[in-house]
Amino acid sequence: MDELSVVGQVVGGSFGDIVIRQKAGTDLEIGDLMVSEENGSFLILQVFSLEFGSQIQDKMQQMMSGVNLEQGVVDAHFYEPDFVNYVLARIKPLARVYRENNDVKIPKSLPLFFNKLRLIQKDDLKFLQKEKDSVFVGYIRSGSKVIKEAEVWLPAEDVFSHHVLIPATTGRGKSNLVKTILWSVLDTNKVGALVLDAHDEYFGRTGIGLKLHPRAKENLMYYTPSNPPVGANRLTVNLQSIRPEHFEGIVNFSDPQFQAIRMAFRKSRKNWIRDLMLTDAVDAGMESSSQSRGEFATATMMVVQRKLRLLLSLEKDEEGVVFSRHEVFDSTTKGLTTVDDIVKDIEQGKVVILDTSRLGDEAELLVGNIIATKLLQKYKDAKASGELDRKPVATIVIEEAPRVIGVDVLTSRNDNIYSTIAKEGRKFKVGLTAITQLSSVIPKTILANMNTKIILGNEMKQEREAIIASASQDLSQDDKNIASLDKGEAIITSIFVPFAMPIKIPLFEDIVRERGITPETGKTKVF
Amino acid sequence: MLFAHLSDVHLGFQKHESLQKIEQQVFEKCLDECITRKVDFILIPGDLFHVNIPEMRVQKFAFAKFRQVYDAGIPIYVVYGSHDFSPVANSVIDLLAEIGYITKVTRATSHENNTISLECIVDEKTRVKITGLSGLKVGKDREWYEKLDRDSLEAESGFKIFLFHGGILDMKTDTGMDGDQMPLSLLPKGFSYYAGGHMHKFNHQSFDGYSNVVYPGTPFAGYHADLEDNANGQKRGFVLVEFEDVVKSVKFVEIENTLYEIIKVDANNRKAESINQELLEKTRDIDPTNKVVIITVKGEMATGKTADVDISTIRDELNSRNAMVVNVSKNGLTSKEYSITEAKGNNKEEIETNVFSENIGQLRFDYPELLSEQGIKLAKKLLSELGQPVLINERKNEYIPRIRDNALAILGLDDAS
Repeated sequence: MDELSVVGQVVGGSFGDIVIRQKAGTDLEIGDLMVSEENGSFLILQVFSLEFGSQIQDKMQQMMSGVNLEQGVVDAHFYEPDFVNYVLARIKPLARVYRENNDVKIPKSLPLFFNKLRLIQKDDLKFLQKEKDSVFVGYIRSGSKVIKEAEVWLPAEDVFSHHVLIPATTGRGKSNLVKTILWSVLDTNKVGALVLDAHDEYFGRTGIGLKLHPRAKENLMYYTPSNPPVGANRLTVNLQSIRPEHFEGIVNFSDPQFQAIRMAFRKSRKNWIRDLMLTDAVDAGMESSSQSRGEFATATMMVVQRKLRLLLSLEKDEEGVVFSRHEVFDSTTKGLTTVDDIVKDIEQGKVVILDTSRLGDEAELLVGNIIATKLLQKYKDAKASGELDRKPVATIVIEEAPRVIGVDVLTSRNDNIYSTIAKEGRKFKVGLTAITQLSSVIPKTILANMNTKIILGNEMKQEREAIIASASQDLSQDDKNIASLDKGEAIITSIFVPFAMPIKIPLFEDIVRERGITPETGKTKVF
Repeated sequence: MLFAHLSDVHLGFQKHESLQKIEQQVFEKCLDECITRKVDFILIPGDLFHVNIPEMRVQKFAFAKFRQVYDAGIPIYVVYGSHDFSPVANSVIDLLAEIGYITKVTRATSHENNTISLECIVDEKTRVKITGLSGLKVGKDREWYEKLDRDSLEAESGFKIFLFHGGILDMKTDTGMDGDQMPLSLLPKGFSYYAGGHMHKFNHQSFDGYSNVVYPGTPFAGYHADLEDNANGQKRGFVLVEFEDVVKSVKFVEIENTLYEIIKVDANNRKAESINQELLEKTRDIDPTNKVVIITVKGEMATGKTADVDISTIRDELNSRNAMVVNVSKNGLTSKEYSITEAKGNNKEEIETNVFSENIGQLRFDYPELLSEQGIKLAKKLLSELGQPVLINERKNEYIPRIRDNALAILGLDDAS
């Protein structure tokens, strides 16, 4: 090893908590990756804590400081300060890489005692080969230094079918990360994605977005409720697509209210919501045989109508046609095939973005529920008929995931399609990509099922603890590391990566600048 | 003021003589109706003919009828459809336009900045402004819409009509429809009427910024599935639009074509013998005399081959009882023992797309345009062109270069010979 590249030397500690002395003049950071060269292999280690060390006792140092501060002696300093005072870094082994075949193993031994360490270099990361059909998430990061030559690619089918969790607080770059991932997904038709875009931020309706991907025309579908930009689709779902079970786990209906809904469905089938909204609640109540039952039915009917009206923003025009104010739901002939079209697109490996920014929380989840239910069923059918292997993996990208997979939701209501997918979707190649600020309110069983976590910065200790407890690698020493993650910095923990990888996610704008479409010039022949 | 809107006539599609007669009669009835009702003009947004150069029989009666309409002083405005379009511009549409019986409304200019501007033509009598774009197979025309200078079109004042030929996703009512559809947002906004072709069922809807988007549907049949729809009660005809400054009414005018009988058999989890038995019984229950009889057998058989379902006996039986035509659809019939799932689809185009989609992944070429979605589109286009029949009186040494030139044009190659 070149002496100039040495940054420290192993001086003690135990497995998982090795102490090194930092070489004077170097500046180790939390999260820095370093290498300990050994026979035929090398260890990759990471700094998780830094502290001062000194050959002089504490009291003596304090006294010297007193001399400096109180006696006014200006130039009092240590004799050979670099030798006497230094920095101790606590590091943990992440991986052992065998040079012969670039095989990466979980380390089970300590580095050689007194071995000199250097910072990681691009050549040490040759094992990070891009596999076929993988998704780009960023570059390896050592502390705050980015190794641009070491790109991190995740195997798409494995990662998405085993669910992805993106825990982050606001402003840490989760939108940028999701856009980066989807940009890579758009390269091929190997991943189908349904993106419930509550902030209308991914497509790039008015600025830079996924629409600028060179394959956006073929692989990206954008549905928006009104005034779609040129080439985009109108998000209209016909009320006929909604069935009573789609409300389960999403909307709080009491048992009698649900019974009234099921009754309406049995009576009118396809047009049950329209008919229910046009039913006179008082007359419906009077039809009941006993008076008390009638009063109850009237009240129930009125509550159901009110809830549906609010949930779906339904109104009735003077001709008795039911319509929704935000134009997403239609009771006539529009949007009859929207759900099927979207499912078909996902099955073809396209990314479908639904602009749900004009919908309320529950309406957004309901629309997602209708599509996800059909999608999961189709994939189940494909598995039954032996055709699942030919389908692309499907993922449903959902923000504020605890709305549907939070402890309180799952204990107070029935399971919904999102929790079903989280629990059993893996068998059918359907997964969730859940984004959340609050991982701690997601049940441990579901968190443990999310086998890839891309952890962005989080200042809340409780949230960090929940993430660390459910990580695929041991992150017990990484609490401070996670807390100190800057915008765009992340740690990937996954059963599909050899160790918890510190990464830097590139700015989406830079990706677009480098790889986005360039405007065509020249004439087009029109017949 | 009044105009008529018909589309997807697909003249020349029918192969059976009896159906050819109906095809002709329906077309003539539509135009007779336009003359009788004294419409100010007629719009035909594509697929007037089933192929770009139909057989002489078809051309003969079509020219005769268009002559009558011309003599009645009724202008006809058209765009190419995906069927009667030719990449080397040798469609019978061009011939009709050349002699002045019809007017092609696409007046497009391509600019160096890769945009396309359209100019409206003005109907002399009504001063209505009309423009539009042709439809190409497998949605190739989408590129034109993406490059369209829509601002200038949207700024045009007065009553204006846009002709287009293509499916609109926002108006889909049936999941089994052909997949080459585009979002409504590709059309320029603010026209008074959008005259659509390509979708074979009547559909009239309005959207924010797009009032009166209308498909009259085919007046008879342009796909085999249309006959089945007819047998199921689908009304056929064209559209009459009354207007002044704005559209006052859009009325569907039904044109009756012929009588139908339909026999449907669910083959799910059944053996061929039981299916054959049901077919025979159902055949005995109908009166097929002078009717088009549609037989559909769908589902997955429990055992045996799909060929074990004996259609020929049924066909003979119906023909002996003077059925006009017997059409059999076994597209949806599969067997657990012998199933080609790769070829499923609701119509010819969808089946072709599915077959290509299923198989293209096995190919390895250095040319990306031959692979994936692009490859499928190219293959479909090529297949369609190579399937063009020899025209009546067309000699082999005329037919071969015609097909070769068209095929090379599709492939974007020059003829090295």
